[in-house]
Amino acid sequence: MKIIDWIDERISLEAARKFAKKKEVPVFYGTVWYYLGGVALFLFIIQIFTGIMLTFYYQPGINTAYESVKFIVSKVSFGWLVREMHSWSANLFILFIFLHMFTVFFAKAYRKPREMTWLSGMLLLFVALGFGFSGYLLPWNELSYFATRVGTEIAGALPFVGDFILKFLRAGDEVSGATLTRFYGFHVAVLPLVAILILGVHLMLVQFQGMSVPPELEQKPEKRRGSIPFFPNFVLRDVTVWLVVFNIIALLALFFPWELGNKADPLAPAPAGIRPEWYFMFMFQTLKQIPAHFLFMEGELFGVLIFMIGGAIWMLVPFLDKHAGDPNFSDKKWNRVGIFAVAFIIVMTVWGYLV
Amino acid sequence: MKHVLTITVLVFGTLLSGDVLRKDACYACHLAVDEDRDEDARIMTHIDEDIHLQVGLSCADCHGGDPTAFDDPDAAMWDNDTFIGAVPREDQPDVCGKCHTDPNFMRQYTASVRTDEIQQYWTSQHGKLLKEGNSKVAVCTSCHGVHGIFPKDDPRSPVYPTHVPETCNSCHGNADYMAEFNIPTDQFEKYQTSVHGKALLEENDIGAPACNDCHGNHGALPPDVVTIADICGTCHVNNRKLFISSHLNYDMLEMGAKQCIECHGNHGIQHPTDDLLKVGTQKFVCQSCHEQHGDKAAILATQMDSVIDSLSVRYERAQKKIEHAEQLGMEVSDLYADLDDSRRALIQTRTSIHSFNFATVQKTAEPGFKATANALEGAQGALAEYNQRRVNLFIMIMAASFLVIMLIFKIKNMQKKS
Amino acid sequence: MMVDTEKPVQSKSRRTFIDNLLGVSVIAWLGTLFYPLIKYMVPPKVANISVNQVEAGLVAEFPNNSAKIVRFGRKPVIVIRKKNGEFTALTATCTHLDCTVQYLPDAGIIWCACHNGKYDINGNNISGPPPRPLTRMVAEVQNDKVIVMKGEVA
Repeated sequence: MKIIDWIDERISLEAARKFAKKKEVPVFYGTVWYYLGGVALFLFIIQIFTGIMLTFYYQPGINTAYESVKFIVSKVSFGWLVREMHSWSANLFILFIFLHMFTVFFAKAYRKPREMTWLSGMLLLFVALGFGFSGYLLPWNELSYFATRVGTEIAGALPFVGDFILKFLRAGDEVSGATLTRFYGFHVAVLPLVAILILGVHLMLVQFQGMSVPPELEQKPEKRRGSIPFFPNFVLRDVTVWLVVFNIIALLALFFPWELGNKADPLAPAPAGIRPEWYFMFMFQTLKQIPAHFLFMEGELFGVLIFMIGGAIWMLVPFLDKHAGDPNFSDKKWNRVGIFAVAFIIVMTVWGYLV
Repeated sequence: MKHVLTITVLVFGTLLSGDVLRKDACYACHLAVDEDRDEDARIMTHIDEDIHLQVGLSCADCHGGDPTAFDDPDAAMWDNDTFIGAVPREDQPDVCGKCHTDPNFMRQYTASVRTDEIQQYWTSQHGKLLKEGNSKVAVCTSCHGVHGIFPKDDPRSPVYPTHVPETCNSCHGNADYMAEFNIPTDQFEKYQTSVHGKALLEENDIGAPACNDCHGNHGALPPDVVTIADICGTCHVNNRKLFISSHLNYDMLEMGAKQCIECHGNHGIQHPTDDLLKVGTQKFVCQSCHEQHGDKAAILATQMDSVIDSLSVRYERAQKKIEHAEQLGMEVSDLYADLDDSRRALIQTRTSIHSFNFATVQKTAEPGFKATANALEGAQGALAEYNQRRVNLFIMIMAASFLVIMLIFKIKNMQKKS
Repeated sequence: MMVDTEKPVQSKSRRTFIDNLLGVSVIAWLGTLFYPLIKYMVPPKVANISVNQVEAGLVAEFPNNSAKIVRFGRKPVIVIRKKNGEFTALTATCTHLDCTVQYLPDAGIIWCACHNGKYDINGNNISGPPPRPLTRMVAEVQNDKVIVMKGEVA
């Protein structure tokens, strides 16, 4: 403890200690949901570490991207582990963000005063999807190449700005080496910077405002509610869960490795079974089901607009759900919206994989 | 006559169009007659696509008569001195030969055209018998068709490679028709099941030999079986090269044996397998002349077989190991290159037995053993690495799990305290 | 390390024991993280990534009208120096039955020994069983070295 004292003498750690101890974590039937955000945070940390490690060997460029990933997994010692962990943790990252988001939604934890936490969380989801979309292309294999082609095309369907977005994403008219460099730049520089800034705000807000509890529990006096200190008690639990997740990722990496596939060949016909990453599947499948022309516009455009409007409503739910904090008000409208969203995503995803 | 023909051809060749044909009395009348026939009985279905018509020849150029005598069949045919009508089989070589033996005439259509077909034909068994007065033998139209003759490289032609076997079989497979010639009629049946037949007929590989590639076409004759290696050697170069310099070839020539055919057969030739060298089995091929055991041949066969066998066993083992490693997610594409080398050496080793020299076989197999060893070593390395990965990961997971347990203790302990 | 400031007497030794074990296991776990990390940073034996090109050798190793088989990934490639000194490269796998072809300098053609298939120097099948031409590759001279790569032949 001498080192801590040494530091304490120079910069008072009291403020930090106070800040850490400030928060109490309520203990009730829903305490388990509090781990989800923490797991997502842990996965993000894994992503940063493994991502940095991958940049030591990865070389963007159409003649080197695929080859360097192959080099990492076959020639660099533990390179396979780094890549597998990066891929697996990326997928689990998005999964846990979704779980975190839906538990927050159904617990109505977005209500006043936590609107900003919800908004920053939604932004983090979009950033995470951006990470997934840009990272998917980097190995420059067949599947990722064509998925990127389809994905950017959908963005190009937007009115007025579509063409600009398409060219902006692809860095040209086609998915090419220029797209790869651009995606690389986004994936390793722009998005991490944005993510860390928003994540900082998100975590600060959580720490300042403490944990949210469901409205019916909130009515009880604080003394009657059980709770444990966030630090160190809950942090230790958090770390325990993280380590379990770490073990799961390690096992997944060994027993279910992500295949590298064949190198992308822009001239080759699209191979069968082109599909986006699973977290885009529900959107992809929906767009496929919309007829080519709907009302006065193209079906694809219609679908994209619907998703944008849906996303906007979802994002603004703290401001639309006026009675969220009132346990006596039995408006289940937003619950139904949430259940519909979950059901829609699950059905469309499963359908997409079955067809 | 030839000048008239040339002029006709030139005039028609430049003016050829529907109009011209409609002005040809034979064409107009006979097409109408033909169209009145039942569909199967029609003989002029493809007449417009006939190569001869295409280049501007008319009916009269083969059949004689006067194509300008409209509405007067007598003047067009029976009263005309040049009228031949249906060309008798025995006259066909001469009628077709009018043009097809004349390089100066044929050159105007194809610069590199051959004009020796008729000459060759007279040397063929078909031609010889025709001269003797047997008109049952194949003549030009038997193979090339009539009234709708396509060039030989048109896939609709009966002499297009994939159609040749059936075309020959239309006579040679007919036992009644062939009865008087006293030769087998099961060649096509056998050929269909052969490695060549399957390649040509089922896989449409026109590189595979049809009847004519061994027997010739216009000069069709059974090839000389005592030196058949020269024929087989047009494709199986290495096998021939090794075989003709082997001691076996000298012995076989002396005996008048049938070279390749003795072991591989002819029309029904199958893809050879390693079983042909397995002494003591039904398939052991040398036993048709040699004794099963104890003989020099049996010893050599066993020796050669042991080399092939051990190479192929190792090859398969390496392949399995590599595939296994690949399934486990290891990167093994480099090893497949070694495996390919090994496979090539195995093919070459199988070919090398035609030297009937053990040392040659051993020498050919050597690079194969080396490549296989490399592949096997690489695969074992990959599998070992996979195991190492598991061990590493196990240690990692154990450490993390131990930490988890300690954390749980710590948490419990803290709970007790409070 | 997480150590409480209050010290209840009865379980002190037990707590110290747990804390010590906890410390050890943290260090052990970090060890299992740092070992791969350090190994990962050690440059591998093969220092370069194998990009989609292969060195066929020095220009000087190729007299005019000669050829050499090099391995390109899994497949063999035949690199030919023509009579006029130009380089050309083709896949060396015969399109008939996967044998490896060879260059016949006297005839100036590519020949497959398995079934007497022949290709001209541009890889077009000219006689024998091969059903298709050989695929052309790009052969370039860079710094006195012959480099073979995939791509459109100019």
